Amino acid sequence: MAHFDTEYQRLEASYSDSPPGEENLLMHVAEGAKSHWHHIENLDLFFQRVYNLHQKNGFTCMLLGELFELVQLLFVVCFTVFLANCVDYDVLFANKFVNHTDSSKVTLPDALIPMDVCSARIRDNGFVIFVLIISGVFWLHRLVKFFYNVCCYWEIRSFYKNALKMSMSELPYATWQEVQARIIEIQKEHQICIHKKELTELDIYHRILRFKNYMVAMVNKSLLPVRFRLPVLGEVVFFTRGLKYNFELIFFWGPGSLFENEWSLKSEYKRGGNRLELADRLASRILWIGIANLLLCPVILVWQILYAFFSYTEVIKREPGSLGARCWSLYGRCYLRHFNELDHELMSRLSKGYKASSKYMNCFLSPLLTVVAKNIAFFAGSLLAVLIALTIYDEDVLAVEHVLSSITLLGVCITICRSFIPDKHMVFCPEQLLRVILAHIHYMPDHWQGNAHRYETRDQFSQLFQYKAVFILEELLSPVVTPIILIFCLRRKSLEIIDFFRNFTVEVIGVGDTCSFAQMDIRQHGHPAWMSEGKTEASIYQQAEDGKTELSLMHFAITNPHWQPPQETTHFISQLKERVHREAAGAPSETHPLSLSESEPRSLVANLLAGPSSLASVHFGCDNSLINHAVAGSDGASALRSLSPVSSSLHLRGSLSMAQRASGFTGKAMSGSGTDAHTVSSGSSAWEGQLTSMVLSEYASTEMSIHALYIHELHKQQSRGELSRHTWHRRESDESSDSIPDEVRSDHNPQSKSFPRSHTFPTVVSSPSATSTSANSSKPKGQEEEKSQSQRRHSGPATDHFNAVGRPVRVARVPMGGWAVDGQAAPRHHEAVPEESSEDEMPPHIHKVT
Amino acid sequence: MNCRSEVLEVTVEARQIDEAMLALLHTILLHRSTGKFHYKKEGTYSIGTVGTADSDCDFIDFTFVRVSSEELDRVIRKAVCEFKDGLNNSGSDGMGQISLEFYQKKKSRWPFSDECIPWEVWTIKVNVVNLANEQERQICREKVGEKLGEKVINVVEVINRNEYLPKMPTQSEVDNVFDTSLKDVQPYLYKITYQITDSLGTSVSTTMRRLIKDTLAL
Repeated sequence: MAHFDTEYQRLEASYSDSPPGEENLLMHVAEGAKSHWHHIENLDLFFQRVYNLHQKNGFTCMLLGELFELVQLLFVVCFTVFLANCVDYDVLFANKFVNHTDSSKVTLPDALIPMDVCSARIRDNGFVIFVLIISGVFWLHRLVKFFYNVCCYWEIRSFYKNALKMSMSELPYATWQEVQARIIEIQKEHQICIHKKELTELDIYHRILRFKNYMVAMVNKSLLPVRFRLPVLGEVVFFTRGLKYNFELIFFWGPGSLFENEWSLKSEYKRGGNRLELADRLASRILWIGIANLLLCPVILVWQILYAFFSYTEVIKREPGSLGARCWSLYGRCYLRHFNELDHELMSRLSKGYKASSKYMNCFLSPLLTVVAKNIAFFAGSLLAVLIALTIYDEDVLAVEHVLSSITLLGVCITICRSFIPDKHMVFCPEQLLRVILAHIHYMPDHWQGNAHRYETRDQFSQLFQYKAVFILEELLSPVVTPIILIFCLRRKSLEIIDFFRNFTVEVIGVGDTCSFAQMDIRQHGHPAWMSEGKTEASIYQQAEDGKTELSLMHFAITNPHWQPPQETTHFISQLKERVHREAAGAPSETHPLSLSESEPRSLVANLLAGPSSLASVHFGCDNSLINHAVAGSDGASALRSLSPVSSSLHLRGSLSMAQRASGFTGKAMSGSGTDAHTVSSGSSAWEGQLTSMVLSEYASTEMSIHALYIHELHKQQSRGELSRHTWHRRESDESSDSIPDEVRSDHNPQSKSFPRSHTFPTVVSSPSATSTSANSSKPKGQEEEKSQSQRRHSGPATDHFNAVGRPVRVARVPMGGWAVDGQAAPRHHEAVPEESSEDEMPPHIHKVT
Repeated sequence: MNCRSEVLEVTVEARQIDEAMLALLHTILLHRSTGKFHYKKEGTYSIGTVGTADSDCDFIDFTFVRVSSEELDRVIRKAVCEFKDGLNNSGSDGMGQISLEFYQKKKSRWPFSDECIPWEVWTIKVNVVNLANEQERQICREKVGEKLGEKVINVVEVINRNEYLPKMPTQSEVDNVFDTSLKDVQPYLYKITYQITDSLGTSVSTTMRRLIKDTLAL
């Protein structure tokens, strides 16, 4: 032992002064840290900042924006105080005379109170001091944050410059997908994430949207108390920024939150053992936060009012109509958001749907209000006209007291009235509009379809798409309501919340703990009524509602064509794409000429939209099904108009013949968004050569719209009990493909089989009184649903969703408490599943049959 | 966190604590140490050798290999002793964990201090048992020896995976990656921390630090 030691020592010594032996030594080359971008500590924050910087169009824009915000804030506070304390309004209103020697004109400085008097007034006023202190603290906080941000984003800027090789000037014109592709490229070289050799798109999305995915999932599973049934107002949704902030504070990052840090849930919350104790602790924490909210309420309230006043008064003065304008509510944004959808993707989607949505909402102007508004507008208009005419004749009229203000007021009044008067030349087709909206927003409760003309549907839609004025009002109310919701509603749900986080958190290597819904795994969270039948193993508790998993998956796959999903998922995507493709390409050749309209894209999308029903109509070709088809066709035409990129891209390729065009388009669409690297590698085709990524992303949204419509269409048919074509064919051969339990099937099958096919389909449409005054082309569907609805009302809630009588009750598999249950929007409350035991998750139909 | 974490769990008797800890920590450090770098010109260097020594345990049937560096041994022994004392004094049910964290330093801009970013954390959870008689002690002696053998193989397996290691630094940056304070061997920068009983929640200071950071990041 000792011998070896000595030898080792000697050799070491020879190294240190060893010019003679140098040529024998093994020399290493130090790689050094070429950039300091390898191994970033907090990747969540890092990616978020990279994304933010991209969204804010580069460093300078962001810096200036924040700087001006700070200045604005300061200005707002100072100006308010100044207006309240340092202006002599008597002078301004000429109630008091100012003695001037030189002229009789009152100047602005005359109206100002001298500095010392003014400051004394401020000092005496406790409330003003209070407001000033609050704003001061707030402002200082913002200032510190600003400097902190500048430092952080400077780093990100140099990351863009040095690592991603993108200059700030080109950033506004680069899509996020490009940036992302470069980050993925970078990872191979720098290893910013050390767990993996390569990053995937999904990893980046997961990290940026970790908490948002949780929020989306919680809204999707109706876990958050945002829907309330109030005595007078009926059902309301209350979800404001303040409330959202508090939720996030409680769950994600506040002191003692469920998360240990940005990327991992605390380990005790992952174990089911002491869930009751944890729920107690969470409940008490919610209570404390609620109380803190209550105490801070006046402060926040003052702030909200000030903020609202200064941000909106100017807008209202400029365009008074803006209060009557609508915006997507915060709840709507959560409800409509896909899993793994970044802000800009969501916003562009919603903005596209904005026009159709506001049109839809305008269909429901109350006739009574219209009459009143028309008359008020008439009288106000006459007054205004006279005043204006007089002013034009002699502008001294303006000097008369209140003339200017009454002109302004009358103008505002007329604008408001006008918003209640529908355009004379507008024809409203709510069902079509709703379909166009669906093409963009991708989600809607089942019972809306076919009920688009009903007021209840409109009311529910207005929860997603509210008046700006309502939005502002809610924000103002928020400081008062938030503590109440926290203390009385959220606290009761603490056990469910604990269960939710335990059951739906998965640890992904290289990402940390994420919401398992965001994995978009059909098997784990698919909903059998939404295309993933037979593939999903999820219990009702685990299924995402409204086909969220499936649609999110499609959305993600389409927006990120290079993403390589796991095996089964790839299968699902390609299967779905193939189906859409087939329906699109196959239909024109098969369908009855009647349904083909003259312009090509129209019929293409029409066929896409008609989905399986179009093919069904071929198979059981009878007049009624053709009506059905034509209905879908016209829907499609209207949907198409909003999907303008499709038509424009079709015009580009005018050299091709019509039929080729149809199939070619979809074919390219498929390859363009295919799961592998088609788009980049095969630049040979002229078409793909033109595709910059910008075009691709626009194009992707169109494709997603088509897919969303297709999935919804399929879902509608499925849940109505009208089995899709594919299942009909298979039905005789293998019963098992359809996962209805046998006893259910044996009860109902004879009935459905006893109907000749040509009858079963028409029963939907054949009611002769189908046409109604609203002249809506999709009336038949609506009719049928109304019918079934009225039946349901008679027979009570025992019957299921919109199934025609005597049809197999497939909807029994729609989970309890879905939107569709019992007519209009019963709030979706999931029974909390205490443990992960399967007994509690029994689907309802089991109980029904046995 | 952007860092690998490995957890080892051992159940030992009170007097075996320090030897078991030493065995595991030394095993890990053996694989995470290199010889001293000798930079020739900027960019190239040669690596000195690392001597190894066998170390026999008194209370466990086990022999482990460690880097034959007295200094390193001293540092680790000191940490382990503190841990052991803490564990013995705690009087609780004898649970504790010691973690060996490898990190690299990253120079930051002026307002911030240098960041220490961990890239690998080894956590050894210790469960101390009390044994009644000599018979059991004898069995325990052998059993712990076997267990430690398994753990050592685990460690080697993990280390053999071709995973992220900090890049070999240039002369100016060598202090950011390696601990160059020892004169005969050069381990990656490491930090040994311990915790007696896995108390719920993190310490107050980290919570406060996070709170401030979070409010800033809003």
